[in-house]
Amino acid sequence: MARLASIILYCLTQLNGERTIYSIFHLLNGKKSSQTIQDAHLFSLKNFFGVYEPLTRESFEDIIQMMQESEWIYNCGEQRFLPTPTGKSFLGNHPLPKYLNGWDHHSFTTQFWERLSFFIQVTSNLVFQESRYIPIQKNKHVHQWLKSVLREVRVPRKEMGTIVYSELVECFDEAHDIDPSLLVFRLTGFQQIGLTASQTAKRLQLDYHDYHIGFINILHYLIRNINEKANRFTVLAYLMQDLMQENELTFSSRKTQKLLNQGYSPEMIANHRHLKLSTIEDHFVEFALNVKDFSIDTFVDTELQTKILEISKHSATKKLKLIREKVPAATYFQIRLVLAKYGDR
Amino acid sequence: MELESILEKHFGYYSFKTGQKEVISSILAGNHTLAMLPTGTGKSLCYQLPGLILKGKILIISPLLSLMQDQVEQFKRFGEKRVIALNSFLSSEERNNVLTSLSSYKFIFISQEMLRIPFIMGRLQGLDISLFVVDEAHCISQWGYDFRPDYSKLGDIRQKLGDPLTLALTATATSRVREDIIASLRIEKINKIESTIDRPNIAMYVENLSDYHDKKDRVIELVTSLQKPGIIYFTSKKAAEQIASLLVDKGVCRAMPYHGGVDQNSRILIQQQFIYGQLDVICATSAFGMGVNKENIRFIIHYHMPMQMESYLQEIGRAGRDGLPSIAVLLHSPGDEQLPIHLAEGELPSEQQIDWLFNRLSDEQRSMDVGGQLPNQFKEFGGFSEVQWRIIEDFVYSPHRHSSRLEELQAAFKKFINERFIVKKKNIFQMKKWVEATSCRRELILRYFDEASSGKVPFCCDQCGLQLNDYQTGQLAPMPKANEELWKDYLAKILINRELSK
Repeated sequence: MARLASIILYCLTQLNGERTIYSIFHLLNGKKSSQTIQDAHLFSLKNFFGVYEPLTRESFEDIIQMMQESEWIYNCGEQRFLPTPTGKSFLGNHPLPKYLNGWDHHSFTTQFWERLSFFIQVTSNLVFQESRYIPIQKNKHVHQWLKSVLREVRVPRKEMGTIVYSELVECFDEAHDIDPSLLVFRLTGFQQIGLTASQTAKRLQLDYHDYHIGFINILHYLIRNINEKANRFTVLAYLMQDLMQENELTFSSRKTQKLLNQGYSPEMIANHRHLKLSTIEDHFVEFALNVKDFSIDTFVDTELQTKILEISKHSATKKLKLIREKVPAATYFQIRLVLAKYGDR
Repeated sequence: MELESILEKHFGYYSFKTGQKEVISSILAGNHTLAMLPTGTGKSLCYQLPGLILKGKILIISPLLSLMQDQVEQFKRFGEKRVIALNSFLSSEERNNVLTSLSSYKFIFISQEMLRIPFIMGRLQGLDISLFVVDEAHCISQWGYDFRPDYSKLGDIRQKLGDPLTLALTATATSRVREDIIASLRIEKINKIESTIDRPNIAMYVENLSDYHDKKDRVIELVTSLQKPGIIYFTSKKAAEQIASLLVDKGVCRAMPYHGGVDQNSRILIQQQFIYGQLDVICATSAFGMGVNKENIRFIIHYHMPMQMESYLQEIGRAGRDGLPSIAVLLHSPGDEQLPIHLAEGELPSEQQIDWLFNRLSDEQRSMDVGGQLPNQFKEFGGFSEVQWRIIEDFVYSPHRHSSRLEELQAAFKKFINERFIVKKKNIFQMKKWVEATSCRRELILRYFDEASSGKVPFCCDQCGLQLNDYQTGQLAPMPKANEELWKDYLAKILINRELSK
């Protein structure tokens, strides 16, 4: 599990003992809590946000135990770990999957794959003039998307297969550090059913965790490359239709945002929504992270902001408690806002 | 037009399978019909074809949500687009869309719980229904192995829809169950078409092993020598996984496990790989098989004993749909009935769970008359499985409960659960009796379903002197070599049609 291990080692290096090991688990899972979202930003781990959604707690704990037994990491107290020198050199020898971009892509990665695999199945059967087959994709939204694509795409049906083939090959060939087999053998076509994830891992002799990370890495590569060169990959570009503009805010935060824009204070919003003040504060921290024009100046005066940032940089910490000890005038909420807004710059 | 030419024109078949034509003719002659047709004889054709002739809608009630989706897809593949499934899988938006355009559909699949909703019933009452189909009709009967209390409302529903022409379909029902179905639907005169449940091309073989642990080696031997493809049925997921990896690791064949714990996407792929011959053997729990149309399955092995004769018959019935000789082997060791008994118990909510649930309900001072909804979070808090929760819902919403007082409801429910357990245990011992029998197995099955023996079958069962080596492959086929195809070649293979570009 070299790939997953190097990601964990990297995260541990970034966290520098300031968070428990489970913050990495939540990060990989893409947990939508303000703590996890903030950590991803504060410790520059956004790329790994939500790249392993199906990972279970049990497997994660097994991996950590294995890494500890191999002496790649050591316990520095209270479920906190740091890389050992062996771990550091392992990380040096096993570069991180380059294209992972969990923060920007995780919310639609699955949908992208569902579209791609279904699109290939339909195209293949079209090319071989077969109309009776079982769709491998049951998601109705993907079916609707495909119907609209088939209406819009301006390519003769007979040439569809060849065009899709050359666009895919060209797109894959532009990267030398991925193995497209991880994805291609999972595709279903005319009278040829694709492999499952575990079958593909077995065929390529990969550990299942590494397979999963590698697969997501390729999907993120495709998403980026197709998006950047939409004018060249004209057919593949349909896969990206309406996927990018998803709002990153959680549903509940969006409600809070609405009330904020109407001029309500955090206390009033909490009252109005029958939520705890701390929950509303979490939403505000989310805005500080995600909403570019959200100003925190009404909540923390600029002098205090500078002070907090200085202390954080000076003592190289993002632990709220340590900062608060040195800036007693600031509340935890204020410290979180400042770190969220400027912490990773 | 003759029925055969309609069959050929619309479905591409040249002849009917056993019983199909009789059922279709009976319906077209305007008779209420109860049809018992063996698994694999294409029951859906019995309402699909009349649908092409009858003027109004065909309403199909089905208890199996996952199968409903398959059926809809199958209809679409045969070019019938006017088909819809109304069930809880639809979002409320989708459901509203469907309901407003309901009259544009010809075939409407609907689940029982949708019929509970007065608004939906109202919409159905406004339709011209030519045929009312009850699929898996044995669920109506409390003597059936898959009794759904909710299903007994169907008699009522039929009346509300104006006593439409009715077709009740089942694959396996004893005569007692069949009588129950007719009584429950409140039909006075019904045409019964009961084709034999016997499948003469499937031989039956029970093999006794002195120790459960010997099954592992034996199943490897069997799979090695028998003609493939085949299915091995298990009661436990873990055993299914284990044997599948053993078969692959020992190089016996291409095998995959299939059970409820496998994610939905992989399940579809594994099923399709099997159908397209990319896999030789599926190691499955009973979750596998419904809706799988594969003609050339040569063997069914039961690693564990099924929970009732009906399931056994359905599972072995997946072999030999092409009519060629096939074999069903059941491996038996002493004490095998413990696992199904344990399972039967687990399917029902426990006494403690029931007490907990009713305590919570009375804490909230809920009367089941007001609102009548069971709070869904109780399912999680009380640790109820899907199956357990369905049983509770079915009971609470069924017409069987005469009281809305919680204590009475609780007592009635406990009584009901006890009765279900007794029925299930009886079924398991019936199965055990069959396994341990020393006379012709085929005859015993026929007798169980109150059918007269139709004379001797040449390759019958172990009790009639069947030899397993008749079903072995002549030569031991080596497992296909690990595929070394490159990704570009694979991609070209599926996307480029050389014939087309010429």
